[in-house]
Amino acid sequence: MAEHAHGDHGHHELPFWQKYVFSTDHKVIGIQYAVTALFFLLFGFCLMMMMRWQLAYPGQPMPWIGTLFSAVNMPEGIMVPEFYNQLGAMHGTIMVFLGVVPLAVGGFGNYVLPLQIGAPDMAFPKLNMASYWVFYVGGVIMLASFFVPEGAAQSGWTSYPPLAVIAPTGQTWWLWGMVALITSSLLGSVNFIVTTVQMRAEGLSFFRLPFFVWAQFVTAFLLLLAFPPLEAAGVMQLMDRIAGTSFFMPSGLVVTGQALDVSGGGSPLLWQHLFWFLAHPEVYVLILPAMGIVGEIVANNTRRPLWGYRTLVYSIVFLGFMSFIVWAHHMFMTGMGTTISTFFQATTMIISIPSVIILTAFALSLHGGSIRFTVPMLFCLAFIPMFAIGGLTGLPLGLTASDLHLHDTYYVIGHFHYVVAPGTIFALFAGIYYWFPKATGRMMNDALGKLHFWTSLIFMNGVFMPMMFVGMAGVSRRLYDQTQYAYGAQVQGLTAMSSWSAWLLGLAQIFFIVNFFWSMRKGKKVESDNPWQATTLEWATPTPPPHGNFKDTPRVCRGPYEYSVPGASSDFIPQHASDNGQVDQPESEPAPTPADDD
Amino acid sequence: MIRRGSIAAIIALSFACFASGEAFAGATVSGTIKLEFPGGKKPGRKKIQMAADPVCAGKHPDAPARSEVVVVDDDGGLHNVFVYVKKGLEGEKFDVPTEPAVLDQQGCIYKPHVMGVRAGQPITVLNSDGTLHNIHPKPENSDEINKAMPKFMKKITISFANPEVMVPVKCDVHPWMQSYIGVMEHPFFSVSGEGGKFEIAGLPAGAYTIEAWHESKRLGTMTEEISVADGESKTLDFLFKIKPKK
Amino acid sequence: MQEKVYGYWLPIDISTHGATVDWLINWLHVFMVALFLGWGVFFIYCLVRYRRRANPDATYDPIKGKIAKYVEYGVIVVEAVLLIGLSMPLWADFKHAFPDESDALVVRVVPEQFAWNIHYSGTDGKFGRTAPEFVSADNLLGLDPDDPDGNDDFNAINNLHIVKDKPVIAHVSSKDVIHSFKIPVLRLTQDAIPGQDIRIWFEATKNGAFDIACAQLCGLGHYRMRGQLTVESEAAFQAWFDEQSGAADEEDEFSF
Repeated sequence: MAEHAHGDHGHHELPFWQKYVFSTDHKVIGIQYAVTALFFLLFGFCLMMMMRWQLAYPGQPMPWIGTLFSAVNMPEGIMVPEFYNQLGAMHGTIMVFLGVVPLAVGGFGNYVLPLQIGAPDMAFPKLNMASYWVFYVGGVIMLASFFVPEGAAQSGWTSYPPLAVIAPTGQTWWLWGMVALITSSLLGSVNFIVTTVQMRAEGLSFFRLPFFVWAQFVTAFLLLLAFPPLEAAGVMQLMDRIAGTSFFMPSGLVVTGQALDVSGGGSPLLWQHLFWFLAHPEVYVLILPAMGIVGEIVANNTRRPLWGYRTLVYSIVFLGFMSFIVWAHHMFMTGMGTTISTFFQATTMIISIPSVIILTAFALSLHGGSIRFTVPMLFCLAFIPMFAIGGLTGLPLGLTASDLHLHDTYYVIGHFHYVVAPGTIFALFAGIYYWFPKATGRMMNDALGKLHFWTSLIFMNGVFMPMMFVGMAGVSRRLYDQTQYAYGAQVQGLTAMSSWSAWLLGLAQIFFIVNFFWSMRKGKKVESDNPWQATTLEWATPTPPPHGNFKDTPRVCRGPYEYSVPGASSDFIPQHASDNGQVDQPESEPAPTPADDD
Repeated sequence: MIRRGSIAAIIALSFACFASGEAFAGATVSGTIKLEFPGGKKPGRKKIQMAADPVCAGKHPDAPARSEVVVVDDDGGLHNVFVYVKKGLEGEKFDVPTEPAVLDQQGCIYKPHVMGVRAGQPITVLNSDGTLHNIHPKPENSDEINKAMPKFMKKITISFANPEVMVPVKCDVHPWMQSYIGVMEHPFFSVSGEGGKFEIAGLPAGAYTIEAWHESKRLGTMTEEISVADGESKTLDFLFKIKPKK
Repeated sequence: MQEKVYGYWLPIDISTHGATVDWLINWLHVFMVALFLGWGVFFIYCLVRYRRRANPDATYDPIKGKIAKYVEYGVIVVEAVLLIGLSMPLWADFKHAFPDESDALVVRVVPEQFAWNIHYSGTDGKFGRTAPEFVSADNLLGLDPDDPDGNDDFNAINNLHIVKDKPVIAHVSSKDVIHSFKIPVLRLTQDAIPGQDIRIWFEATKNGAFDIACAQLCGLGHYRMRGQLTVESEAAFQAWFDEQSGAADEEDEFSF
């Protein structure tokens, strides 16, 4: 992947490890991020598929796969509760921090953002490289934690103390891993902000930026501002575990019949505040880049400008701001009084408005378009209603009165998975299908892509729709065996349906995996640098983009989505084309030299 | 009815005999452990709230299960006292039996309530109840163990690496379930059973400190100095008195 | 005829405040489904009407989207009404409109891994002092043996007995980690947080036995942290209460 054009810029050839391993090229780093994240998404998905066996058939030996695990975790092929909790905690952690965010921000952000703003690289290429490798170390720590005594973290991805503080060693590894991952995100976010502000091509004003760049820009601010509190909290929990502090440990705890030997005086709720102060903006870190991708692809495939570009931009900026003041709606049941809960209910209702506007804008963009149902477009079209379901089901959770019943039930699981799985992950798939030809010079197979799309769409809903009803019946989340409760046994059939859908969803991903690797070598070669006939700058580079990206510094003359302009010779006018529709290529300036070459 | 404590004592004794391999030659220390009744009245045992888990309650259809913290006979014989050689065997090495000791969870009660094992000796933990238990010993000198035993899991094996008197064992699902395991470096220990009787056999000649341990803080521990010659049998009785509160 | 307790939607509601919760949940879903369907019709229409074959040339100018604007205003209004009209009053009621302690049954809910200790004050109506140093397998609550108030207290592990149509005030706390006291039929969830004593109240309107669940991951036995709520008549409750208070026990207990 990302083969460099051979020396046509007069660059000296870099040795292999500098070119592909410890590279400072944003495209190589983007691909490193994407490939690593895709691996983790698959891994996290496998953890979940194992959990789904226990959920569907509690206490029954897992066929074949069960025999591969040690007698500690799966005696006679039957999963024990400790192992189930490990899988649950690590599924959440891996999917969010090692899968979706690295793919959406580290992968797409790194690869596409500099191209879309006409920059030769990120502002700080070495920082970029450091960001990836710190992330990599965090991932390795997380994976390795499965092999420490008593296994990986098992206190949920939220790691609430005191449970997390008294948990076995795996939790310490989880915290070290999180410190690494957060550090990586911070390094990345600084880079994105500076790059966007400083390195836009000539003529590319803020309101000419593609929507994707805006989304990444806002995301970077969220990462920059929200992650430090969690990093601090992570270090504090680490200290509680290994240095005998009591930030989160109140006095008078009695664990397993014995008074716990801690100094006490801490507050378990402090952790929740710090955690959700990150983790709610984190939801928007997951969703904004996805919206950015959808914006690009919808405009391209409807062949008309995005509806309400400025409204969309204002909406995501507002969304980003609001995401910082809704966090305590995760904590309505912690004994919160009326004043605070009123504030957070109100902000939660308010934050739904920009989301509605964004969805409406996407839908209105379809009106009057000339829609091409390409594979990336299919995924984006599915994103819109799926995200709508995710968003709407947030309403009952955002009001304390209805949350009184639905809090911490499967309804919550269904709700946020609709946002992240058929929402964000569909958009990420769309992004992969869309930018694959730019990165490799080959198209992904259309038939396999459509097969992948339709099977995924059906089974995604098969996984998550039943959860809404399971939650409505009152079943708590994170239960190893819901049949212990009468109302859980009642809806066990739905849970089994979720499980079967999940396994079939797993099979459906084989279409994608095969397509991905097959197309890399054998896919149809692109006939031009701009196979989708898109307007944004990333399509103005050679394919794949060489080190330094642009042959000539592009000069931007217009907004990002000039499709079907009346009177124009073609149905799209690239951003760098001059008014007569011709691509304006200044011959005088040589290509800029990327920063790592000096 | 044979009391659990005496079974434990027999098990412990048989280990003692096999392990030392010279039982015939050694000395025997035996005796009776009694409790002085508070106010001259035999203390009663609290009922256990087995209704907490219908499976547990179903295992005690006739009479309610009662607390095993202080089990005492009408004549004052105190059960579940762990008697062991505390001092006098330093530096001696004894083979560790490979045969596992057995701790059963039956009717949501640990059987035995108090037991002795050797450091490194395997302990088979049984779940005879068909409900979830978790076996959660909290040793200070060895690694903590906390393993769920869902109803399908009938048996697991655990062990403690280092000696400790006593390791508390709990089931967190049924919080009344508590037992104690004495983890020893040598085979000379016993648990008092019916009538408060205990016996430590096969002890090499020498001078020893013998400690009797009871789980209630208000009974605590008692120690005696004793010296024995080869083949000698000595009697050692303990009378526990209830200490005033605080 | 046995009424169906649990099903594929909300379980039966046996609480005084549950009707509002159910009303809100049900109408919210009607609103959500209506919004989704209405919006979905437009979405599908666009996909069909403006597919490439039907509409080879796209329009550059945006449509006005006036209706969309009205829909958005509508959403804002509905949300505001639900928030101000329903959710806030209910929450205020739940948090502030406590019944008088003398008219209510007062219990302490002190969960631990993995059981619900339900502390009743016994016949004297006073809770004994508790402290961590007194906790043992015999005394899970850690009642101070020297406190006379605690002599008749009892701990009904995993069993919450309450009287029909009599309000209950529960002080929810925790011995070790965070649990969450959840009774689906009462439309009740309350996190149990160590170091905090959170007061909640509720009132049941139907006799029967129902599940109490833990809603917050508390360790390996979380899934099995099941309690039972028994709603019964005053007389049945009193009989149970007397038996538990220890009066009926033939053995003369001694506190070790």
